[in-house]
Amino acid sequence: MPKSNQQKFALVDCNNFYASCERVFDPKLEREPIVVLSNNDGCVIARSNEAKALGIKMGVPYYQVKDLMIDKSVVIKSSNYPLYGDMSSRVMSIVGEYAPVQEVYSIDESFLDLSGLMVNLNTHMQALKNQVKSWTGVPVCIGIGHTKVRAKLANRIAKIYPRFNGVFDIDVLPDNRFEKLLASVDVGDIWGVGSKSALKLNRVGITTALNFYKADIGIIETLLGVNGKRIYRELYGHSCLAIEEVAPARRQIVSSRSFGTDLSTFDEINQALTALTRKAVNKLNKQSLATTSMSVFICTNPFKKNVPCINLSKTIGMSAPISNEKLLIPLCAKLLKQIYEPGYRFYKGGVTLGNLTLDKSQQDLFVVNDKSTQLSDQPYGHLLRYASELGNDRWLPRAEFQSNRFTTHWNELLSV
Amino acid sequence: MNTEAQNHGGARAGAGRKKNSGKFKENTKVMRVPASLVDTVKSTLEVYKSQLKSDVVVSLPADNAADITTPIFTSRVQAGFPSPADDHLEGRLDLNKYLIHHREATFFVRAQGESMLGAGIHPGDILVVDKSLIAKSGKIVIAVVDGEFTVKRLHKYKGNITLKAENPEFDDIVISEGSELIIWGVVTSVIHQYA
Repeated sequence: MPKSNQQKFALVDCNNFYASCERVFDPKLEREPIVVLSNNDGCVIARSNEAKALGIKMGVPYYQVKDLMIDKSVVIKSSNYPLYGDMSSRVMSIVGEYAPVQEVYSIDESFLDLSGLMVNLNTHMQALKNQVKSWTGVPVCIGIGHTKVRAKLANRIAKIYPRFNGVFDIDVLPDNRFEKLLASVDVGDIWGVGSKSALKLNRVGITTALNFYKADIGIIETLLGVNGKRIYRELYGHSCLAIEEVAPARRQIVSSRSFGTDLSTFDEINQALTALTRKAVNKLNKQSLATTSMSVFICTNPFKKNVPCINLSKTIGMSAPISNEKLLIPLCAKLLKQIYEPGYRFYKGGVTLGNLTLDKSQQDLFVVNDKSTQLSDQPYGHLLRYASELGNDRWLPRAEFQSNRFTTHWNELLSV
Repeated sequence: MNTEAQNHGGARAGAGRKKNSGKFKENTKVMRVPASLVDTVKSTLEVYKSQLKSDVVVSLPADNAADITTPIFTSRVQAGFPSPADDHLEGRLDLNKYLIHHREATFFVRAQGESMLGAGIHPGDILVVDKSLIAKSGKIVIAVVDGEFTVKRLHKYKGNITLKAENPEFDDIVISEGSELIIWGVVTSVIHQYA
């Protein structure tokens, strides 16, 4: 098993990140159950520990738990991504100071490569935990291990048992304790084992992480392929998954959202999709990318009974990469025209730009950059709209319970 | 011409492409590149190739070009005398750098009420708050008393903590044993706008 010269990784994970962000700006919520709803107040996407204890499950539609939440006076918040995004970048920036190599894995998780650091890792990570908490108000837990899979597992322990004070090094566990721990973890909860893989493993009797650990590596490879083999080896302390310092290049940009209310006229849907296309093109331009395929989809609400479940979509390929919204917005309308069917109430729609490549027109100094004529590049561009975007804005999402965007809008600052 | 080597296979003298006649006009090497950097490397090579063709020197912008704001020349290139200031170029003063010492820990807060008028805090002012600083006695702090925010001057004396208002019309808040006090952050500046 692990040798002392092996690599060391840490996984820094914010505790109930969205709920914690809400608490920073409203300390009254400190011990209250909090639930954060998805865009358009559709489903539960985050819960404080107190809300978890009430049995409110992740992903359930809001209307299903509404009565329970009112009954238990659960604090309900619409998702406030401008706030969470800014708080995340503060946290990640501090975390990055504690190791030479950092991978920002998600909005609230970050891996660090601690290999070769000549410090007491436990003390070092305690200092990180304390600094994040005092500088931003966000509590974090940190798991340490020889591999990313082990660090992730360690994080789980750090979260569950307060006696570790938020930092746990899994490599200090003797084999028998480590195996006891694995026995208490579902195989699907191992980092990298998805729900589909878990199902495959369950079929051959592998239900816990311990079953997985004790299984023959050949079986794991047969069932899950080379990725499964890597996770298996990682669990044994052989690092196979390196830190990814640079986020892999995006293969597609998706801009979709549930409309505020169901929409049925072509003009209303087109208005919503035009705005979504502009959002997607903005992302495209920010990363200096161009697209060669565009998909448009609209669908009815699959959760509504007695309503036909309709999902319409169309994709078009392009002969050359484009990145200009003047071309992409009319294309979106054209695609919509081809799929649109009157008589249905559409509740969600979106645009996908696929097959992304580097935008050559931005690199070539000698090509006249036609993007300068895009609306968003002009002064007051953010205030300008394409005619197809004009309308009653019924499609804009509901965010009934949103707190202020405290850190990104001057008129929404915390008042004291 | 008809040497022995030619009759028995192998490389013929003078066969193959001319040396340095490839795309890059020099020797090339095979190497491994991280998958995430393939596009970057390819585009760098594309630019390099076009340079070789056109004899125009083009440099690729760095990935984080947006962060680099250092101007290279202040004066435009033109016939005549260069600006005498070019050798003395300094960054323009930046209020952010002046007011914010810990970027990740600094928050702006809007002041309400008149309890801190004596400290120069007017209703509507923006307070620059640093959460990383230790709240020493005498500092103006954003405090949370039993869940409610307030801005006051912190006084610690012989184990007693008082949050002092700076306006005789307002009472101080004496932290009693039963109440909970959290220091949210230390106020480092006030921004008061006249126009």
